[in-house]
Amino acid sequence: MAERPTGFFNPWFQFVLNIIGVVIYELLLKAGASATADPARGWSGFGITALISPLTWLAIAVIIVDLIIWLYILRYIPLSIAFPLSRTVDVLVPISCWFILKEAISPMRWCGIALVIVGLVIVAKPAAQLEERL
Amino acid sequence: MTWLPVALISLWLATFVTGQLLFKRAMESSRAAGFRNRKTLTMLSIGIAVMTSSFLLNLGLLQHFDLSYLYPFQGASIIIITLLAAVILKERLTPRLIIGTLLITAGVILVSMS
Repeated sequence: MAERPTGFFNPWFQFVLNIIGVVIYELLLKAGASATADPARGWSGFGITALISPLTWLAIAVIIVDLIIWLYILRYIPLSIAFPLSRTVDVLVPISCWFILKEAISPMRWCGIALVIVGLVIVAKPAAQLEERL
Repeated sequence: MTWLPVALISLWLATFVTGQLLFKRAMESSRAAGFRNRKTLTMLSIGIAVMTSSFLLNLGLLQHFDLSYLYPFQGASIIIITLLAAVILKERLTPRLIIGTLLITAGVILVSMS
């Protein structure tokens, strides 16, 4: 196995950047799609009409950068570890909504967040073992 | 017309999962044979094409459904990708990894349903 880069190019550091990118583009995409949604059109122009919004294009730019980072991560980390860990975003989005936007989080949602965190910790262990082998 | 959303959501999931597997294959190939290798480039090109269609499908679905409605399906992709990585890419699955992945999936679904 090739030498694993350190510093800025450390795959785990890139992993953190990737997750931040996902949170940003998910919010941009929803904003772009909502801004262009026209219920009167029904299912016609499916997806394509969202491309009118500059927000969608900004999201696409973030997605492209994020994709390059993701491909880089996949060079070094198995998909079965990288992908579950990438779902950290599912915890970060609601928590940042709660923390920054002061949105309320229901007890059930907190339970879901707790489950994801426990799952991430469990998956992170094989990832740490993988690190030792590298 | 209830079959249409089901078909589109299934297609979105299928393209997303396939794209991820192709990306991983391409990157494995790039480590072994470099980026100018024909296999690397083919896998990467098909992967990007499949992911682009998945992206457009997702965009269209977002115009019709709330993000919170679509999220559980994204949750399902976690377990599908992990299993397929083991079957197709021959990655080693430990019981620990399976339990962790199941918990993350359950958590994502719970977060989006509440």
